[in-house]
Amino acid sequence: MPRVKGHEMKDIFVSSSPHIHSPEDTPWIMRQVIYALIPGALIGVYFFGIPAIRVIAISVVSCMVIETLWQKLMKQDITIADGSAALTGLLLAMNLPSGAPWWLVVLGSLVAIILGKQVYGGLGNNPFNPALVARVFLLISFPVHMTTWPAPRAFFSQAADTVTGATPLGALKTAVFEHGTITAAPHLNLMDPFFGNIGGSLGEISALALILGGIYLIARKIISWHIPVIYIGTVAVFTGALWMMNPNLYADPAFHLIAGGLMLGAFFMATDMVTSPITNKGKIIFAVGCGVITVVIRIWGGYPEGVSFAILIMNALVPLINKVTRPGKFGAV
Amino acid sequence: MVGGIGFVAALILGISAVTFAVEMDPREKAVLDQLPGANCGACGFAGCAAFAHEITENVEAEMACPAVNENALKAMSEILGRDLGGGAAFIAFVGCKGTPDQTITRYNYVGPRDCRAAQIIAGGSKACAYGCLGLGSCVDVCPFGAIHMGEDGLPHVVEAKCTGCAKCVDACPRQIIRLIPKSGNYGVGCISKDLSKDMKQYCKVGCIKCGLCENICPFDAITVSKDSSAVIDQSKCRSCGLCVSVCPTSVISFLHTPLKARVIVEKCKGCGICDQVCPVEAITGKPKEPYLVNESKCIGCGLCIDKCPADAIERIVS
Amino acid sequence: MKTFKGGIHPPEEKELVKDNPIADFPLSSTFYVLVQQHLGAPAKPIVKAGDEVKKGQVITEPLGFVSAPVHAPTSGTVKEISKMVHPVTGLLAPCIVIDADGKDQWADGLPLERDPSVMTTEELMGAIKAAGIVGMGGATFPTHVKLSPPKEKTIDTFIVNGAECEPYLSSDYRLMLEQPERVLGGTLIAMRILGLDKAILAIESNKPDAIKLMESKAPPQIQVETLKVKYPQGAEKQLINALTGREVPSGGLPMDVGAVVQNAGTCAAIYDACAHGIPLIERITSVTGRGIKHPKNIKVRIGTPIKDVIDFCGGLNDAAKIIFGGPMMGIAQFSDDISIMKGTSGVLVLTEKDTNISHYSACISCGRCVEACPMCLIPSTLSKAGEKSMWQMALDNNLLDCVECGSCTFVCPANRPIVHFVKYLKALQRAANAKSKGA
Repeated sequence: MPRVKGHEMKDIFVSSSPHIHSPEDTPWIMRQVIYALIPGALIGVYFFGIPAIRVIAISVVSCMVIETLWQKLMKQDITIADGSAALTGLLLAMNLPSGAPWWLVVLGSLVAIILGKQVYGGLGNNPFNPALVARVFLLISFPVHMTTWPAPRAFFSQAADTVTGATPLGALKTAVFEHGTITAAPHLNLMDPFFGNIGGSLGEISALALILGGIYLIARKIISWHIPVIYIGTVAVFTGALWMMNPNLYADPAFHLIAGGLMLGAFFMATDMVTSPITNKGKIIFAVGCGVITVVIRIWGGYPEGVSFAILIMNALVPLINKVTRPGKFGAV
Repeated sequence: MVGGIGFVAALILGISAVTFAVEMDPREKAVLDQLPGANCGACGFAGCAAFAHEITENVEAEMACPAVNENALKAMSEILGRDLGGGAAFIAFVGCKGTPDQTITRYNYVGPRDCRAAQIIAGGSKACAYGCLGLGSCVDVCPFGAIHMGEDGLPHVVEAKCTGCAKCVDACPRQIIRLIPKSGNYGVGCISKDLSKDMKQYCKVGCIKCGLCENICPFDAITVSKDSSAVIDQSKCRSCGLCVSVCPTSVISFLHTPLKARVIVEKCKGCGICDQVCPVEAITGKPKEPYLVNESKCIGCGLCIDKCPADAIERIVS
Repeated sequence: MKTFKGGIHPPEEKELVKDNPIADFPLSSTFYVLVQQHLGAPAKPIVKAGDEVKKGQVITEPLGFVSAPVHAPTSGTVKEISKMVHPVTGLLAPCIVIDADGKDQWADGLPLERDPSVMTTEELMGAIKAAGIVGMGGATFPTHVKLSPPKEKTIDTFIVNGAECEPYLSSDYRLMLEQPERVLGGTLIAMRILGLDKAILAIESNKPDAIKLMESKAPPQIQVETLKVKYPQGAEKQLINALTGREVPSGGLPMDVGAVVQNAGTCAAIYDACAHGIPLIERITSVTGRGIKHPKNIKVRIGTPIKDVIDFCGGLNDAAKIIFGGPMMGIAQFSDDISIMKGTSGVLVLTEKDTNISHYSACISCGRCVEACPMCLIPSTLSKAGEKSMWQMALDNNLLDCVECGSCTFVCPANRPIVHFVKYLKALQRAANAKSKGA
C-alpha cells in the first residue's frame, strides 16, 4: 500500500519530541559573556587609552576572520554567527598588555583559533581554553613584549603613554627574589587594583568590574557559582595560611585575590564551559586544582602570575575529572 | 639541571624501547605494510594489524581483505609463501535514482543528519519506503572516501576508491546499496517492492516493472515481477546494454566504460561469424579479409570473442 | 512543596485553553478506529465489511493478556477493514472504518446502572478489562494489567496523576474541575482492587481551583497533594519520588517500590466501565496551540477523523507542526488522515515561532542537560554516542534509564536533538539484540 494518500499537509515539519525549546541558545550565551566582560574592558580602555581599543578591535576582528577563512578552506560550515570567535577575541585582548603590537595580537588570534580550537574540530571539541593557549604561547615566545606593562593613566590625561611599569605581582616577585622579603615591594593600597589604577593586562586590572560581570553571569545562570567561588576561596585559604606563617615573605590573601589575573581567570577563563567539568562536583575539584597551582606558581614558580598555567593544566585533567564524577544514577541497583 | 633531567628521561626511554620491545614476526610487519591501513573491519577483525597477525600466524586463514589490489595480493602471497587466491573484487552500487525533484517528500524532516536516525521518525520523510533519504550515513561511514553525496541529493560511488568493504551497505537503513562484482557493468537503480501504480504516485524515475528488460535480454540475466523491481544477475549479464535501451524510465545504470573488442588481424580468417552475432552491428568486413571492430559502436559484450572459431578477437581497454 | 531533583520550567501556555469548558463534539459521519490503541500484544478485528455495529459493541479481540479490545464509537455499518497512518508509529496500521448511521444507539443493555461498592473485585476487574481501558495519559498501557501486579509485589501506595505537567494541555484539569465524581469514583474502585484504604491525588500548584474542588469533594481516604510546578512532575518515576521519596530501581517498575500510578482520565473511565458498563469510546482532548484558530477542550469519540476536529476548532492558522500529545513528549504528525485514539490527550498545533526547527551544532559541555535530567544521566554523552551510532557506549552510560522526557533537549543551547539520538540508540540496541537472539 503506498504511503501517499493524497492529503499530505504541505510544509509540515516533523521531528522527534520535544517540540519546544528554550530561547537560550549558544549565541545567546556568548553574548551574555561578552556583556559581562564589557565593564572590565571599558576600565582597560579608560586607563590604557587608544592602544587598548586597538588591541581589542584587532583581536576580535582577526579571530572572526581567521575562523571564517579556516572553515572556508576546510569546506566546513561557517560558524562565526555563534559568537565564540568574537568572545575568544575579546578574552584574548583582555589577557594582553595594551602596548602589544598589532602583529602580536594577530599571531595570538591565529594560535587561539587554529591551534586552540579549530584543529580539534571546532567549538565544543577543544580541550584547552583557546585564549589562554594563545596567551601562554605569546608569553613564552615573546616574553619582553608580553611583560612590558604600560602604566595606567586616566583616559583624557596628557601624560605620555610610553611610560611602563611593573604589575603588583611582578613587583612582589622581584622583591622576594632580590631582597627575600615582600616589604621591599612598593606599597600598594588595595583600592588601586580593586578599581583598576594599576599595571597589568588590559582586562585584568579592575577586580571590581570583573566581579560585577561575574555576578551578572552567575545571576543569569550562564555559569554556576562553584568554579569562581571555590577557585578564589582556595587561593584565599592557601595564601592566607602562608601569610599567617610568615607575613614578611608572603603577601596577605586580600592582595592575592585582587592583584593579578585571578578575577579574570576565576570568572571568565576557568568557567569556559567547553573546557571545564560538566558536573558540579567536578567543577569543585577543578577549581581547587586551579587555586592550588596558581598559588604554587605565584609563590615558588618562575613567573609572577600562575592563573593561565594553572587553568591550562587543569583543562588537561577535565576528561578524567568528568569520568570520576558521574552523577548518581536514579534508582541505582 | 633541566638538561640533566632530560638526559635521564632519554636514557630511560631508550632502555625501555629495547627491553620492552614486542617481538613481531617480520613477515607480519611486511604483510601489514601491504594492507590499506583503513581499519574498516570488512575482514571481520579488529583492524589491519589484527588481520595481518591472523593471516601470518594461521596458515589456514583465508584472505578476507577486500581492499587490496592485485599487486599487493601477489606481494602478500610471496611474503607468506602461499597462494592467497585471486580475490573477487566488488564495488558498491547505489540502487536509487529518486532525486528530490522526481519524488514526493511527505514532510520537512528536522533532526540528526543521519539516515538511520531519520528512519525511526514515521519511517522516513520520503513517501517511497525504498528510496534514498539523502542524509549521507553511507558517506559518513566510508573509510576510503569512496562515496560522495552529489548535488542531486543522491550518493555516488567513486569506483577507483571503492574496495567493496560493505560498510555503506550496512549503514543504509533501506538496504539500497549493494555490492556487485567490479567487472559488472549495469545495475538497476531501484529496489521498490510497491506495485507500479502505487509507486507512480510518489516517484517518476523508479522501476515500473514493465518487464521490457526481461523480455529483451538474450542471456536471461534480468528478472522482474509485479512486486519486485528488476534485478540483474551479474553472473549472467554480458553488458550488451539492450535492457538500457528499452527501459522507459532509464532506471538501469551504466557503471563504467567497458572493455572493447579488437580483431587480431593476423589470426582473422574473415569468416564473418562475429558480424552475425554482434548485437549492435559494430563489426564490419568482407569475406576472407580481416574484419574490423568499430570501437565507438562496440559495447564490449564479448559475444564475438566467444563465437570466433579462430580466437582472433581480444578484449582491450578503450 | 514536594518536588523531585532536576527538571525544567517551560512556559506553561495553558491560558490558551484552560478556561474553556469541555465542549461536546458533534458526531462525525465516518469513524476510523485503529485496532492497536494500546501497548502490548496485538488485537484482531472480529467484524467485517458490511456488519452492523452498535455503540459500545466490541469489535476486536485481544490476543494476549497485555492487550485490550476496541469498541465501536457509535452505531452504524462497518465499511471496510483497511489501513491508515498510525499516529504513534507513522506507519500504516489496520483500522476499522465505520459509517455512522446517525442514530447513535447503544449496544444491548448499555448503559447499565450498577453500584461499584457492592461489586466484587473480580467483577470490577472484569468490567475494566472488557471495557478496553488503557492508560489515558498517553502511554496506553492496559489498565487491568497495571491493577493486577504479581502477588510478590506488595502495593501500599496508589497515586492518581492529576499533575498534567505538559505545557499547553488542560484535559485532565477540565475533567477534574467539571466531573470530579468520575475521577474520585474511579479512584475508589482502583483502591478496592488493590486492597488499599488510602490513595493520593496529585495536582500541580498551577491548578488551584481544581485542588480546592477536589479537596472539598474527596472522601477522607483520598488525600489531595499539591506539587511544585515543574516538568516532568507527571512522569511516573518522578511522581512517586516526589510524593514518597522512593526511587523506582533502574530497569524496574513502580510496583517494585510498592506504588501504582493511574492518570486521572483513566480513573474516570474506570468509573464509567464499572458503574455503567460503558467501554472506552470517548475521551477529553485539548485541541490547542497558536496554530489552531479556536482552541477547545472537546469530549470526542475515539476514531473521529482529525480533519473534523480541526474544522470544529476553526481550522489551521500557519501550522508548522501538528502534535498528538503535549509539546514535550508528543508525536509530530505528517498526515491529516489520522484519527483520535484512546491516548490522545492533546492535539497541539504549533506555529513556526512556537516550535524549534533550527539546525544543531556541537556540544559545548555547558552542563545544562545534566542539571535538567530527572534521571541523573549525562544526556550530552548520549547525544555524542548517538552521532557515532555507538550504542554499547550509550548502554554503559545508562541509556535505558532515559524516559525520553525531553528536558535535556529543551535546554540545550546547541539545539541538539538529544531525545532523537536516544531513541535511535535504543533502536540500534534492540536490532543488535534481535540479531544475536536470532543468530
